[in-house]
Amino acid sequence: MRLFLAVLLVLATASPAWAATVPEILAKVDANLTYDTRETTVTMTVTKGDRVKVYKMHSYGRGQDEGSVEYLEPARDKGTKMYRNASELWLWMPSVEKVQKISGHMLRQSMMGSDLSYEDMMQAQKWQALYDGTLAGEEACGAGKCWKIDLKAKSPDISYPRRVVWVDQATYVPVKQELYALSGMLLKTWDMGNVKDVAGRKYPMSMTISDKVQAGSSTTLTFENVTFSVKVADEVFSARWLER
Amino acid sequence: MSLLLQLAMRNVQRNARRSLLTALMISTGAAFLILGMAWVDGVFKGAMAKGALFVGHVRAVTPAYSAKEQFFPLEENIADTAPVVAALASTPGIAGAYPRIQMGVTVTASEEIGENFGLLVGAPDELYTRWLALDRSLTEGRLAKADDEVVIGLTIADQTGAKLGQEIVVLGQTQDGSMSPAKLTVVGLYDLGSANQNKMMYVTLEKARWLADIPDGATEVVAYVGGDVANELVAAEARAVPALSGLDVKAWNERAPFDSFTGVIGTIQAITAGVVVLITALGVLNTMLMSVLERTAEIGVLRAMGMRLWPTLVMVVMEAFAIAVVGGLIGVAVGGVLAWAWLERHGINLGAAVKGLPSAIPINSIVYGDLQASQLVTAFVLGLAMALVGALLPAIRAAGIQPVEAMRFRR
Repeated sequence: MRLFLAVLLVLATASPAWAATVPEILAKVDANLTYDTRETTVTMTVTKGDRVKVYKMHSYGRGQDEGSVEYLEPARDKGTKMYRNASELWLWMPSVEKVQKISGHMLRQSMMGSDLSYEDMMQAQKWQALYDGTLAGEEACGAGKCWKIDLKAKSPDISYPRRVVWVDQATYVPVKQELYALSGMLLKTWDMGNVKDVAGRKYPMSMTISDKVQAGSSTTLTFENVTFSVKVADEVFSARWLER
Repeated sequence: MSLLLQLAMRNVQRNARRSLLTALMISTGAAFLILGMAWVDGVFKGAMAKGALFVGHVRAVTPAYSAKEQFFPLEENIADTAPVVAALASTPGIAGAYPRIQMGVTVTASEEIGENFGLLVGAPDELYTRWLALDRSLTEGRLAKADDEVVIGLTIADQTGAKLGQEIVVLGQTQDGSMSPAKLTVVGLYDLGSANQNKMMYVTLEKARWLADIPDGATEVVAYVGGDVANELVAAEARAVPALSGLDVKAWNERAPFDSFTGVIGTIQAITAGVVVLITALGVLNTMLMSVLERTAEIGVLRAMGMRLWPTLVMVVMEAFAIAVVGGLIGVAVGGVLAWAWLERHGINLGAAVKGLPSAIPINSIVYGDLQASQLVTAFVLGLAMALVGALLPAIRAAGIQPVEAMRFRR
């Protein structure tokens, strides 16, 4: 009898993985991927057919909407800087000493010919705020298991009105995503891997984005020296920084 | 036959006013035909010939570029143009072959990167001077010699406010989609006669290659035919060259929009001529029917006296022909003088109507006619045709008149 009651007690208090709710999962995903500040060096490899172009950038992020990027390589693009604030982006072109403002729908254009848009690259918004999610089950992914979650945008002006994400149950990192247009067309896939412990969070040091509209096109981001909650000068998050 | 002619001439003079009006109708039709043909030929020869120079008599591109040409897809380029240029240049009939890059850019002369769009073209100097006569179209300055120099059209100059000696910034993309900006000094302004053609900017080939990041290549290789050789035949010969296999090689009139445009021009000419002939023929028909009706009794007498069917018909047709000869000669004279004095010398100002045309069809705002002797002959012959068509029914009617019934006919 005591054994039976003990087993009953264990079963009643155990929290199986599938019992996690979508808000809980998203909260942990956001905790991993969003930040107050972040600084990192990124290598972006853009592959289109048999052409491969490699860029190296130094990136700063603050909150969900602010980001600054400076291109280090190749030589042709060295010194190009970008600063994003909410719905506007400024691009500094050192060869002509001019600033190009990019706003509105232009933010969804390809950044430097990659499969990332300017918006994709320079923001880190919390999915909890943007999407309503439905748990669509569990699937095996890699060595473990993932939750499959169907996310629908709360607002019509979100870039990707629907995302289907596979969140690793061990790390709470979305190892695979499918990004859809309003029409239901699959636009991109976004895979995250090489997850490492960085300052108490799980962070993917590698991301691959594939354009499903244009065959043979993919972009890989490799992060180095990622640091969070760093002190970044306010000036870095301003248009003034571009011309320095 | 001479009797029939005498009868026909007498009938023509019987109602001189009506005959004169009919002649006037035919002369108006003939004059319109001459003006129409001269103008269409002017458009065709002027614009098409000019367009052929701009797009190249023969052109080689990758098939993928050809499929997406309206977007100027830099990534669908010919990576190494040297063997393609050599192969085209050695094709019989080709007088010169050149790599060329065309890319869409935004242009600004002020502090702000603006929304003025233009087409930037990079090609060897010889293409500009020998074939496009760009140096002769300059209104100010000279052609670009250095990589940081540009020649711009008057439309771009107006839109941006750019002046000779001023720096402008062009912003394009590389073949990989990266932003590609450049500062260029305006060393020349040109006027090619149409707003669309004046939206282009010409730089050195090396500068265009740098902007597009296509080090040894180009988006197209254009070739020019020397002498009076059909471009399609030269293109067909070029396609047989092994070095050009895998590329899309076509003559200018085998490519859009010219392939449909040339057909449309021929159709327009034929329809216009047909409409003019028909309308004028209706007028002749009216005149001749009235003439036959008035002379029903007389024709009946002639038939009773032994004039057979065929001579009766010929008599009526001869009347119409006599009027047509006079009308045709007057029409040819008036139409020829108008085409020579007005269309060839002053032209017709199409103004804003040409703005929407693709820049590959460089129709100038003012289009001049091209009067040819063949047009005068055609108009005169068509004038006779108008008379024949208009006189046929009345002639058949006259030939069918029964003598006894005709003599009973009272007006």
